Amino acid sequence: MLTVLVSGLAIGALYAATGLAYNIMFSTSKVLSVTTGHICMLGGVFGAYFMLDLGLPAPVALVGAVLVGAAFGLLTEVIAIRRVLARSDEHLWLLSTLALATMVQQAVGLWWGTEPRPFPRLADQDFTAGVLDQKYWLPIAAVVAMALGLEFFYRRTMYGKVFQAVSEDAFAARARGIATDRTRALSFAIAGALGGLAGFAAGQLTFAFFALGLTLTLYGFIALAVGGLGSNVGALVGGVALGLFQTLATYLFGGEYQQTIAVGLLMVVLLVKPEGLFGSKKVRPV
Amino acid sequence: MTTSSLPRLGTLAVGGILAVTLPFWVGDFYQLHLAALIGVYWVLIAGLNLVVGYTGQLSIGHVGLLSIGSYAFAIVVGRYGVDPLLTLALAGALGGLCGFLLGLPSLRLPGFYFAMATMAFALIMAELSLAQGGLTGGGAGLPVPGFAAPFDTPTGFYWLVLLVAALITWMTWNVARLMWGRGLIALRDSEVAAAAVGVPIFRLKLTVFTFSGVTAGIGGALFASLQSYITPETFVFELGLFFFVCIIIGGRGSILGPFVGTVVLTALPEMVAPLAKLGNFFYGLLLLAVVLVVPEGIGHVIKSVLARLQKKGPDPKGLQPDIGRLAAAVRRGMRQDIQRGHAS
Repeated sequence: MLTVLVSGLAIGALYAATGLAYNIMFSTSKVLSVTTGHICMLGGVFGAYFMLDLGLPAPVALVGAVLVGAAFGLLTEVIAIRRVLARSDEHLWLLSTLALATMVQQAVGLWWGTEPRPFPRLADQDFTAGVLDQKYWLPIAAVVAMALGLEFFYRRTMYGKVFQAVSEDAFAARARGIATDRTRALSFAIAGALGGLAGFAAGQLTFAFFALGLTLTLYGFIALAVGGLGSNVGALVGGVALGLFQTLATYLFGGEYQQTIAVGLLMVVLLVKPEGLFGSKKVRPV
Repeated sequence: MTTSSLPRLGTLAVGGILAVTLPFWVGDFYQLHLAALIGVYWVLIAGLNLVVGYTGQLSIGHVGLLSIGSYAFAIVVGRYGVDPLLTLALAGALGGLCGFLLGLPSLRLPGFYFAMATMAFALIMAELSLAQGGLTGGGAGLPVPGFAAPFDTPTGFYWLVLLVAALITWMTWNVARLMWGRGLIALRDSEVAAAAVGVPIFRLKLTVFTFSGVTAGIGGALFASLQSYITPETFVFELGLFFFVCIIIGGRGSILGPFVGTVVLTALPEMVAPLAKLGNFFYGLLLLAVVLVVPEGIGHVIKSVLARLQKKGPDPKGLQPDIGRLAAAVRRGMRQDIQRGHAS
């Protein structure tokens, strides 16, 4: 039972990390990128690639995975977001990020193979450690570090305040001389780096698997929608709740209905509280 | 729309004759199979086009509804021996019901939420078809029976598909060109404005989505019969993405565009071997290119190029207001108002 809870917490941490990555990108661009889950997938796959195929030590591989994630985040912004936002059609960003996500997933599938591959152990540890196993606490530690780091960044640094200004009102921020385009690109790079970190840390839990991206895009989004769009606390709570809910349901009813249960949770929350648990109600006065 | 109806009718007639006589001049059975596959896809895409192209609701998970139709057909015909043509209608009804039930909560959601809900629906359907092994055969899949006597040969089946596809195209065309279609387009371009002029937003969305569920169910039944064996692997999420891409690439708010998109995207990977290997990468690349370069879709480009060739005008989109007629209409309207004022 304890193992169930801890594994739920760990997988929930990965969902929460995906939710955080969504939030970072959403705050500056008001875009929910379909590629968010694929960033984490890239972190896991490239981590495994650096360590297994190239034989690099773990810290170097971690830096590499984070850099790949950041590069992909930046690429998303440059290719799929920048031109589309300039044209200001509501739905186009959804199409462009969907296209990019499909391309990345297929490219990784062709290059890396469609079978999930095991992720190497990062620290020396017996497989008998049970609930203390690193595959559980690494993602949890990573997401806690991410959340604390983000909070520090938003509250205490100049750039964090710039981010908040852009997120509050992009036009006003621009009028004050903030380069909103550059801020947006930076936010995508940061989301990419954090997503890469999360994917790397959770690699032993999820394996290096090319189709992970789409699932994470969905679950991260559910975590965010449950917790409340735009709220980091909401992403954490929603992610952990979703993870625990899923593993408990699997424990009680068997593993066949994971997605059905997750989406059921989403639907219930959206019906009862459409803005999510910690979301701010944004009603446009007409 | 009706300005150049004669050449248009001519083209339609030539296209129709070509499509009907296709089994006689096509090279081999494989190409006939491909033509039937295009027809089956089009049955679904024609309905989806009303949702995606006209109403602007980005449903990327129609493959879930397709799988419902397929499994319903395989189970009802294969296990209970019901007449296939009757089951075809039954699959359509079931697809419509599921579309209705899916649309009821999810169509209230804004853009990205709706797309995610339909994607989740597709994943759930894949999961259920794996989990309910007693009903669907689980991962091993189900054999699907064919149709009865006149439609049991490849040629006969092709004609059945053609008939259904023509019928559904005609229906969507009727929806699109009449008041309904205007309402849908108004809804797509601005929900608030559409609601303000009295378009019943949610009811319209739900009706169209249910209709797309019916076509998806029928398409699913035909698809299953064409494939003759279905497993959960047949209905991967990427197939739903493919339907979606066909419409976006073809162009939103038109019927011909998505049709051309369907034909080209189905046939191209089969004709050009390297593209088949790239598969979804190719579709993604195409989608990205279309979204970035011509968001209106390729059909729109073709149309404007044609218009430019015909007219040689400076701007194919530009309208010359007929001032005299406009003034006359305004005057007439005012006169009527005055008369009505006197009457009351």
